[in-house]
Amino acid sequence: MMRRIFAALAALVVAGPAFAGAPRDYFKVGVVTELSGDLATGGNVTKRGYDLWAQAVNEAGGIAVGGKKYPVKLVYADAQSNPFQGAAAAERLITQEEVDFLLGPYSSGVTLAVAPVVEKYKVPMITGSAESPLIWRQKFLYTFGTIPPINFTGASAIQTLAALSPAPKTAVIFGSNDTFSKATAEAFEAAAKQSGIKVVKFNIVPAGQDLTPLMSAVKGLRPDLVAFGGHDEELIKLVKGLHQIDFAPRALLMHYGVTEPAFVEALKGDANEVFGGAVWTETTPTKGQVLWKDAPSYAAAAVKAFSVPADYTQAGSSAAGIAFQVAVERIKATPPLGESARAELVKALEAVDVQTFYGRVKFATEGEFYHSNIGLSPLTVQIQAGKVAVVGPAKNAMKAQYPMTPWSKR
Amino acid sequence: MELLPQALMDGVMLGAIYIIIAVAFSLVYGVMHVIDFAVGEWIMFGAFAGFYLNRATGMDPFLLLPAVFVVFAVLGYLLQPVIQRVLSGKKGNPLLMGLVFTFGLSLMFRGLAQTFFGFYSLSIPSRFSTGSFFFEKGSFFLTVSHVRLAGLVYAIAITVGLQYLLKHTDFGLGVRALAQHKDAAGLMGVNNRRTSAFVYAIYVGVSAMTGVLIGTILAVSAKMAPEYTIFTFFVVVLAGMGYLAGVPAAAFLLGIIQSLFLIYLDPGYTLLAVFGVLYLILLVSPTGLFRKGV
Repeated sequence: MMRRIFAALAALVVAGPAFAGAPRDYFKVGVVTELSGDLATGGNVTKRGYDLWAQAVNEAGGIAVGGKKYPVKLVYADAQSNPFQGAAAAERLITQEEVDFLLGPYSSGVTLAVAPVVEKYKVPMITGSAESPLIWRQKFLYTFGTIPPINFTGASAIQTLAALSPAPKTAVIFGSNDTFSKATAEAFEAAAKQSGIKVVKFNIVPAGQDLTPLMSAVKGLRPDLVAFGGHDEELIKLVKGLHQIDFAPRALLMHYGVTEPAFVEALKGDANEVFGGAVWTETTPTKGQVLWKDAPSYAAAAVKAFSVPADYTQAGSSAAGIAFQVAVERIKATPPLGESARAELVKALEAVDVQTFYGRVKFATEGEFYHSNIGLSPLTVQIQAGKVAVVGPAKNAMKAQYPMTPWSKR
Repeated sequence: MELLPQALMDGVMLGAIYIIIAVAFSLVYGVMHVIDFAVGEWIMFGAFAGFYLNRATGMDPFLLLPAVFVVFAVLGYLLQPVIQRVLSGKKGNPLLMGLVFTFGLSLMFRGLAQTFFGFYSLSIPSRFSTGSFFFEKGSFFLTVSHVRLAGLVYAIAITVGLQYLLKHTDFGLGVRALAQHKDAAGLMGVNNRRTSAFVYAIYVGVSAMTGVLIGTILAVSAKMAPEYTIFTFFVVVLAGMGYLAGVPAAAFLLGIIQSLFLIYLDPGYTLLAVFGVLYLILLVSPTGLFRKGV
């Protein structure tokens, strides 16, 4: 009996490769992202973005290739917020699931671990979220991203603040010790120096720590601006800590996480007047050519699907799907995609220049932003009355609430 | 130099959080000899319970503490016989089985929390969470946040309460007897199963209350547990495994090292300093700061 089972298993193993490349009437899209672990919040926001794209494409019948429509099927693998797990998950999706292309992780750290894997197997990947400049400096041929790197967007927020009156003269800048947050703090520091703001303290701190003692020391320095690069829970802890020690600088700047609905939900009134950076909001004036006609219609679809407003990471993730969709339609490749079709897909992605609900998607083909989206303009946002308001540098920007109201007067 | 009072005060208040996460754990280790990997998850469940109870009733989280204690103590009481069974097996290595079992529980609890509570970080609002006392004299200044001060008071109350229970009640006598020698305690009429179940119930209840407090001072999320598990181990090992009276000193030491490093030295090396100190102390005294651990 055992011998028969082994024989059957052996036959399956031998026959396995014969199924590889068998025609499919759908595109199999692998998704590696952080569905659990420390970065589960952001990971699940990217999942919403990818799911919403797949749902919209499939409602329209699928990706149109040569007069026929092929639906998309997403296959998820959890990176568990761990770069090594992310790399293993990508390898499994490519070798066992034989996906046609990949939608990438939320975090820069995991993206940096996954990128060499997709490079090795020559499978294109677009991350709808990762923002560290380190990814693009390595010039991975098969890795693309829809959100511009932080050194491109972070500077803008500092410049907006520097133009306020009275302009902040001193700043304390710090970042959590992970790829994205560190890059954010460095971008803030470089921009502050350029804008003539004196950086009186700059630190990279261990991720997830209670920073209240550090903030007590910062309170003694009385800086005009406190800028922090970190992730969702760290931002919430920091704002609570500042309130607990009753210290409100003139401006408090963070980057990603401020636009996440959970930030306002957790902090309520304390979230107000916190500045952040973004590349998209529900009110960004865009004209989409694919799936959604503009930002408000995407925002409405997101609320309908998940009952939660979309932020720029979710939008960027949906835009990553659109970029693949446009490129696949252009090369007229049918599933499954072989190695040459995938190489062709990379060239098509490099040629993509499309207006979407999220704004223009155009990947750089050279320079330090190689394969990152350079079609967008950075926005400075501020939480005003519990909502995300654009306060610069767009033309229709609202007036920033500055300086920050002391905690005791709220 | 003008920051020193603040650095010490912040260290003490950080230490208070470490006391309350470690004190009950130390007790349960002393009696059951179980290293409960799920300690962070009990804190997390407690924090979520506090969050949802606060949302449903609008009551201040500090007033909710007794209710959270009772609910979780009952849960702990019901779960303890299962752990006891794993620990009292005749084959294999029961201590190791206890470790594996609670590690499995922690993974399962974390998964359940993410499934049921979602992935967002939350916060429990309290009337204490916003105010602070401020003292200034010359160039020295000191800010003491109300909610952290309340945490310190709570930590002292819990430690004193547990010490009283251990040293001045018949139940405590039984607990200490069990910790010293199970068989002899049994011969003297101490009911091992029931006493252990009560100790585990107290541990789960106190950990859950701690969660409510952490959710009020810091934040609540399904991913918060591992961080607190690590700090619990740190404090308990430094205090001496199972030596309850050593917990406050170890916790304050950890808090003050962290605070001084964050303020005066490079904050990037805070954790390195903390674990460096643990390593050095264990090298000199493997049974903890007071040489009284197991």
